[in-house]
Amino acid sequence: MGLKQEDLLLNNNTNNSNVSEMPVDKQKLAAPIKSAVDKFQLLPEFLKVRGLVKQHLDSFNYFVNTGIKKIVRANDRIVSGVDPSIYLRFKDVRIGEPSMTINAVSEKINPHTCRLSDMTYAAPIFVNIEYIQGSHGQKTRLEKNDLVIGRMPIMLRSCCCVLYGKDEAELARLGECPLDPGGYFVIKGAEKVILIQEQLSKNRIIIDADKKGNINASVTSSSEATKSKTVIQMEKEKIYLLLNQFVKKIPIMVVMKAMGMESDQEVVQMVGRDPHYNAVLLPSIEECAGVGIYTQEQALEYLETKVKRVMYTGPASEKEGRALSILRDVFLANVPVRSNNFRPKCLYVAVMLRRMVEAILNKDAMDDKDYVGNKRLELSGQLISLLFEDLFKTTISEVQKMIDLVLSKPSRSSALDPSQFLRSRETITFGLERTLSTGNFDIKRFKMHRKGMTQVLARLSFIGTLGYMTKVSPQFEKSRKVSGPRALQPSQWGMLCPCDTPEGEACGLVKNLALMTHVTTDEDEGPLISLCYCLGVEDLELLSGEELHTPNSFLVILNGLILGKHRRPQHFAVAMRKLRRAGKVGEFVSVFVNEKQRCVYIASDGGRVCRPLVIADKGVSRIKEHHMKELLDGVRTFDDFLRDGLIEYLDVNEENNALIALYEGEATPETTHIEIEPFTILGVCAGLIPYPHHNQSPRNTYQCAMGKQAMGNIAYNQLCRMDTLLYLLVYPQRPLLTTRTIELVGYDKLGAGQNATVAVMSYSGYDIEDAIVMNKSSLDRGFGRCIVMKRYSAVNQKYETGASDRILRPQRTGPGSERMQILDDDGIATPGEIIRPNDIYINKESSIHTRGSRVSSESLPDSAYRPARQTYKGPEGESCVVDRVALCTDRNSNLSIKFLIRHTRRPEVGDKFSSRHGQKGVCGTIIQQEDFPFSERGICPDLIMNPHGFPSRMTVGKMIELLGGKAGVSCGRFHYGSAFGEPSGHADRVEAISETLIKHGFSYNGKDFIYSGITGCPLQAYIFMGPIYYQKLKHMVLDKMHARGNGPRVMLTRQPTEGRARNGGLRVGEMERDCLIAYGASMLIFERLMISSDPFEVQVCRKCGLLGYYSHKLKTGICSSCKNGDNVSTMKLPYACKLLIQELQSMNIVPRLKLSEA
Amino acid sequence: MEGVSYQRFPKVKIRELKDDYAKFELRDTDASMANALRRVMIAEVPTIAIDLVEIEVNSSVLNDEFIAHRLGLIPLTSERAMSMRFSRDCDACDGDGQCEFCSVEFHLRAKCMTDQTLDVTSKDLYSSDHTVVPVDFTDSAGYDSSEQRGIIIVKLRRGQELRLRAIARKGIGKDHAKWSPAATVTFMYEPEIHINEDMMETLTLEEKQSFVESSPTRVFDIDPNTQQVVVVDPEAYTYDDEVLKKAEAMGKPGLVEIYAKEDSFIFTVESTGAIKASQLVLNAIEVLKQKLDAVRLSEDTVEADDQFGELGAHMRGG
Repeated sequence: MGLKQEDLLLNNNTNNSNVSEMPVDKQKLAAPIKSAVDKFQLLPEFLKVRGLVKQHLDSFNYFVNTGIKKIVRANDRIVSGVDPSIYLRFKDVRIGEPSMTINAVSEKINPHTCRLSDMTYAAPIFVNIEYIQGSHGQKTRLEKNDLVIGRMPIMLRSCCCVLYGKDEAELARLGECPLDPGGYFVIKGAEKVILIQEQLSKNRIIIDADKKGNINASVTSSSEATKSKTVIQMEKEKIYLLLNQFVKKIPIMVVMKAMGMESDQEVVQMVGRDPHYNAVLLPSIEECAGVGIYTQEQALEYLETKVKRVMYTGPASEKEGRALSILRDVFLANVPVRSNNFRPKCLYVAVMLRRMVEAILNKDAMDDKDYVGNKRLELSGQLISLLFEDLFKTTISEVQKMIDLVLSKPSRSSALDPSQFLRSRETITFGLERTLSTGNFDIKRFKMHRKGMTQVLARLSFIGTLGYMTKVSPQFEKSRKVSGPRALQPSQWGMLCPCDTPEGEACGLVKNLALMTHVTTDEDEGPLISLCYCLGVEDLELLSGEELHTPNSFLVILNGLILGKHRRPQHFAVAMRKLRRAGKVGEFVSVFVNEKQRCVYIASDGGRVCRPLVIADKGVSRIKEHHMKELLDGVRTFDDFLRDGLIEYLDVNEENNALIALYEGEATPETTHIEIEPFTILGVCAGLIPYPHHNQSPRNTYQCAMGKQAMGNIAYNQLCRMDTLLYLLVYPQRPLLTTRTIELVGYDKLGAGQNATVAVMSYSGYDIEDAIVMNKSSLDRGFGRCIVMKRYSAVNQKYETGASDRILRPQRTGPGSERMQILDDDGIATPGEIIRPNDIYINKESSIHTRGSRVSSESLPDSAYRPARQTYKGPEGESCVVDRVALCTDRNSNLSIKFLIRHTRRPEVGDKFSSRHGQKGVCGTIIQQEDFPFSERGICPDLIMNPHGFPSRMTVGKMIELLGGKAGVSCGRFHYGSAFGEPSGHADRVEAISETLIKHGFSYNGKDFIYSGITGCPLQAYIFMGPIYYQKLKHMVLDKMHARGNGPRVMLTRQPTEGRARNGGLRVGEMERDCLIAYGASMLIFERLMISSDPFEVQVCRKCGLLGYYSHKLKTGICSSCKNGDNVSTMKLPYACKLLIQELQSMNIVPRLKLSEA
Repeated sequence: MEGVSYQRFPKVKIRELKDDYAKFELRDTDASMANALRRVMIAEVPTIAIDLVEIEVNSSVLNDEFIAHRLGLIPLTSERAMSMRFSRDCDACDGDGQCEFCSVEFHLRAKCMTDQTLDVTSKDLYSSDHTVVPVDFTDSAGYDSSEQRGIIIVKLRRGQELRLRAIARKGIGKDHAKWSPAATVTFMYEPEIHINEDMMETLTLEEKQSFVESSPTRVFDIDPNTQQVVVVDPEAYTYDDEVLKKAEAMGKPGLVEIYAKEDSFIFTVESTGAIKASQLVLNAIEVLKQKLDAVRLSEDTVEADDQFGELGAHMRGG
């Protein structure tokens, strides 16, 4: 131990050697070179430039700065169909500052006012247009600048947002929390996040096997014009093309011939001359010959017969070339066909075939769909850009229609101004707002119908909010019982958090980004293509089929497009990387040499996940001590590291070409990269767990889910917010045992828990099944105390008749006045008043003239109003307080009144608590302090946890947290427990902690000698005791407890209602019933199922067995089918049974009751 | 059984006595006595604490309940508490906490008028009774009085105001921890350490040294002159068994023998400042006596049997 301590000291010295000039120490000189440069400082720097949700911001910024301009440029003309000389052209588009226009006055808005007053945080979209104004032959070309065509919801903290680049003080002035990451939208006052969508990458060849075991090569093509899916399938040894536009599968050789590849020899050459390959191709060639197709014309003719008939038939001339046009525009749409040159497409098919044949001969060549490198993440920017494109095109066609309508009118009085139509359009504004607020992306133009794309940002805890921003949701349905996509992929390393995934149906499908993950945005391909040719890529056009797969060359593929081949792939890759490191091409361009496929893949498309790594030359890190010193001194930023080629971003594919050392010391000469910090493989939520690498893995997953339910601080502006539900802790603390991630994300400033002194022992028997025993004095002093704020709202509605609701001054005396005690003179509850159940919080009356003719609101008599008072329904016997009342004008210019009702709660038996190790438990009992055990130092635990929680859970991390916390409080230094942090000094070792404990007079193992508080005798065992950070979870008894005697019933069945909210009954279900039957408690069953549910007296005719009725006039039961009351008996039946009988009767089934004496 | 007396005469020896700290030995009694004393000190010695708060103006960042809770936890000097009435048995005011026999009124008025943050502390509480005031820590601890301005209640920024009336009442720690006068009350059994001198002599100096160091607390030391292991501070021993384990590991079981003296206790009492630590002990004994009186009184009455059931018969020696 002593040696280790020295070691640590030495380590410290090397790290701080630049601070002071050390005297020359011979021992130090002789020691092996401690080359480990502490690269941790890069992380805060990285997060400073990137923020926690940079992926969202980057994506949105890209859309706003580039994407929107591209869309408008691609659709920049509205040309009249009637008079083609009349047109409107968009010259430029830009997004202004967030503002809103009220009565033609534009007013700047900030996000917080939008939240409070239910507005949308949006900015106008300005366009500059040029158009022809003309009437009757006289035409003038006019220009108009800054025409508003709609309002774009703005992502908070994006470059358009007012919060962009603001410092803490400025943010505070705007009512914003500086720790809030942004990355979401405020739509109608609600914070909405667009979830990151995970999908298979576009324009890439994916080889896989379908259910029948047939090998498929599929490409999901996506170009600006079209989106299509092309599948080439091997079935019964023959290869076919499957395309939506064709009715059945087409032999691939026919397709090749249709594209002008008439020679079978050339096809074989292009695929490869290896005899094995030829053997696989042979049946397909034979089949083609068997159908008798030898020429392009024959092939096209054949295809023409297979084209799917569409409902509407276009012009006849176009119909002639349908097969060809499908091949050109739909089949492999990502490969461009210039002037009907199909050769690139043929080559592409050949490459697909070759990959397929390789996969047939060698199953290893199959692609893994779950491999992260084959995935793309779709972010808010891309989704909004799709939405905008659709809406913009709709607007254009609408405007065009209107122009045509006006132009086609024979007599026009004024000159036509096309811009006026554009101005009055609300399609874009409403479309964007509706889609973002409902989350239903329904874009017919792009065949996109997805639900639940946006979610309300849960402000339950700060971490929960952050977790939302990193959540990656899958595209395919969750119900499938396949394990493949759910399993942890090795390629997720460092990109997606291995811990943070929900339990249950979405397990493994919903993922979260790791701390350092970056998601790329699109980058221009043009310069890259020309660069590749400059670096010696041989153009595809100039290659013969034979040359394509010569053994000494690799294909070069850029974003799924085959550029050509290169004879020295490694040389080429090194050159490309060198250029990237020098900043000559974008930093997110990835270069990946795939030896197996003999390809060099270059990717610059958006949606790839990547992460920064330190570059190493022959195993020696490029980052040296002086670089880090410059960083610390503030003269060097993260971007400088990037620019100087010390750090680079690698995506999942390129990682396969790298040998990444975890630590500098472990680097070998082959090492190309070094990790920055190992704990960055975890995400935000998992980063809170101390010593997660000592826990059983599912425990960390549980904590990731629970951390989001923990109460604490939400944001610095939490008390200025008006959320529907807000849970706050009265005295939140910073965890004693922190991690680096906690400091990086700001959890130490917005904690969600308290450091409780925990004794691990059995006490009182109220601690079974993970229940915890709590110290009453701790609760008295504020442990676990929380504030629950709930929002209630009321709207002072205005009606179309001109009448409106009114809020009345409360009556201070008389009946009903006792329920109006808390009302102010304006009829609205006073802030600060204690509100009890059934108190009226707004004395509102609504008008009865809601429709029909106009009335004047002043002259209405009192009788024209009916009371619409809103009463508070809260827990009985609790004193809640009206915290705040806010009045604002909503979007329909009605007065909207919001009440925030606050309730302070102390923990009670049944409230749920959890440590940070997936160990949740409810409070089992609360015990007086004097009965609690104590140590001779006077330490008395805040809560007692049963030791049975440990053996099966194996949460060793929790034990180390206790030790570290104990050492932390005794020595006054926060201890660290970052994941995998021991070697790099970001986690304290147990040995060092023990030493600290001993120094402060504790046992090295964290156990204390404890006396029983009840008897005063020492306990038989030493008790493991120390501080553990405990979270109070939002599940509280008060919100859940429910019991009922009598209560409401459902109208239809007359059975008790269901659920707590409706004061429902407790159901004796099927299984409970079974128990009672088995036990033989027949009277109890009878009581529970009829007497206490829905007893009903019926009149039954003994003769016909049908139900009759009771005649009050004759005071006897009458059978309505026998038309008399002679054989009618009275009996009791559940009403539901009577209902069933009647319903069956209505379906022509006659149930008859046969009565016998009992 | 009649006539057998278990009466003992416990002795108290005071080791250390400060205003808020006391350390004493309690000898010739057993754990039940010691623990009873401890329990009473924590839970049943009455003090005065703010119990009712009437907030007139509160524009601070903390809400009313929050401030009320904080006010309740402020220790008030409670020398008067023993002689005061519980407001529930106060005849003068029907227990509404308005009379001088059972309650003390406090006022707090604070408004921040400057740009500097104003700390509202316990010093801003004005009491109607000069004997019941918030505890002042400045004189007892050696802190600079200008630095230490009492217990912070809330911080105000410009324009914020806090105005309230609070009523302090007598209460006991059992009801709420705010009435507990004790910050720490704990005791330990006095350890009795015997060193087997003969066996110790067989150890080398290094072995002795490692033996001494094996205890996490400084219980043993080596006499610099005689180089003998001596017990310097038996009370520092925390019953951690480390030295015994060490002796075992050195192959010398029985090198030291440590027993806990079953009849002597070392008490450590720290007070919140509400009453002096010495007074706390005396009050506790007083309360304990009253409780025993209550039992003894009920012994003679007929109701005792109803009240205590079998216990009553047991107490009468049945």
